[in-house]
Amino acid sequence: MKRPETRHYSEEELLLHIIGEVAPEIRAEISAHLMGCPECRSILQEYAALVKSFGTWSVPELSEESWQSSKARLMTQFRQDREWIRRKGLLWYMRWGALKGWDYAMENPLPTMGYIAAAIAFASERTITIFRLDWILPATGEVFRILRQVL
Amino acid sequence: MTSTRSDEDLVDGTLGGDEHAFSELYARHRQAVYSTAYRIIQNAEEAQDATQEIFIKLYRSLPVWTREKAKFSTWLFRLAANHAIDCWRARRRRSETQVSGETGDEEWKEYSLGEAIRSPYHEVEGREQVDEIRRCVNYLPELQKKVFVLRYFHELKLEEIAEVENCSLGTVKTSLFRATQTVRKALRRFRGAK
Repeated sequence: MKRPETRHYSEEELLLHIIGEVAPEIRAEISAHLMGCPECRSILQEYAALVKSFGTWSVPELSEESWQSSKARLMTQFRQDREWIRRKGLLWYMRWGALKGWDYAMENPLPTMGYIAAAIAFASERTITIFRLDWILPATGEVFRILRQVL
Repeated sequence: MTSTRSDEDLVDGTLGGDEHAFSELYARHRQAVYSTAYRIIQNAEEAQDATQEIFIKLYRSLPVWTREKAKFSTWLFRLAANHAIDCWRARRRRSETQVSGETGDEEWKEYSLGEAIRSPYHEVEGREQVDEIRRCVNYLPELQKKVFVLRYFHELKLEEIAEVENCSLGTVKTSLFRATQTVRKALRRFRGAK
């Protein structure tokens, strides 16, 4: 629908025109209207000057020294975060493995019992030493020996 | 030394634990992030602290960023603006609890006065105008303030702002217009009073 020629453009439309946020066809329409409308032109000029004046709001410069000290603090935090994520990641994988193992055991009880029996049967003295099972429970070594004989 | 690696490459590197990639992201965007923070918080020291916090936040939320969602810089500026708004809110609360409640403004007035003594007349007038814009932006509602800073100082497209702010383009357009109009009215009053 064509816009009535008598209507002026709203201030919002003019502002969007200044900052290039209108569609090309509307842009052409506004430009044509502005040629013959001193009222809209005056509002447009005021907004254009206003938008331009925002550019005068400068930001205080920071010295390279303060950037560097900021960066040093940031990188320290970065390293700490990496370490935390690494630890959290390991725990996550352990938890994930345990849950998966549990699910498997619940769905396949017989094979699971077989695996456990095989693990016990083949558990060597070295396994006991590596996992410090004898340290946690002093009689573990003895228990494993008996289990191996039984199995 | 600047590298030719794209932001996206640097993000991938950072996610893989590459410290240099993160350091380069910081070097590339620190000034823009600081400017955003400064224009919202309006205190250089706090803006510097906020910049550091924004980069920590950035690093922690990198896994949720996807290039389909938004351009990296757009997403970063949004993160910066949101964090700066939080800092500004905290600062406002602090100043409300203070008896004088004028700490920040006093700093600014002192700065302006110092500048005024050194500057020729037209520069003082320009400085006063900036002071008025700054004061006005400080009182804008949060969304208007964000849209104002992101559009006029970082030249983000309104569509991009709408996308990262999760609101309609119409809302963003209206916010920008209202913010601009508020500043315009304040400047008119300011000029009329002179």
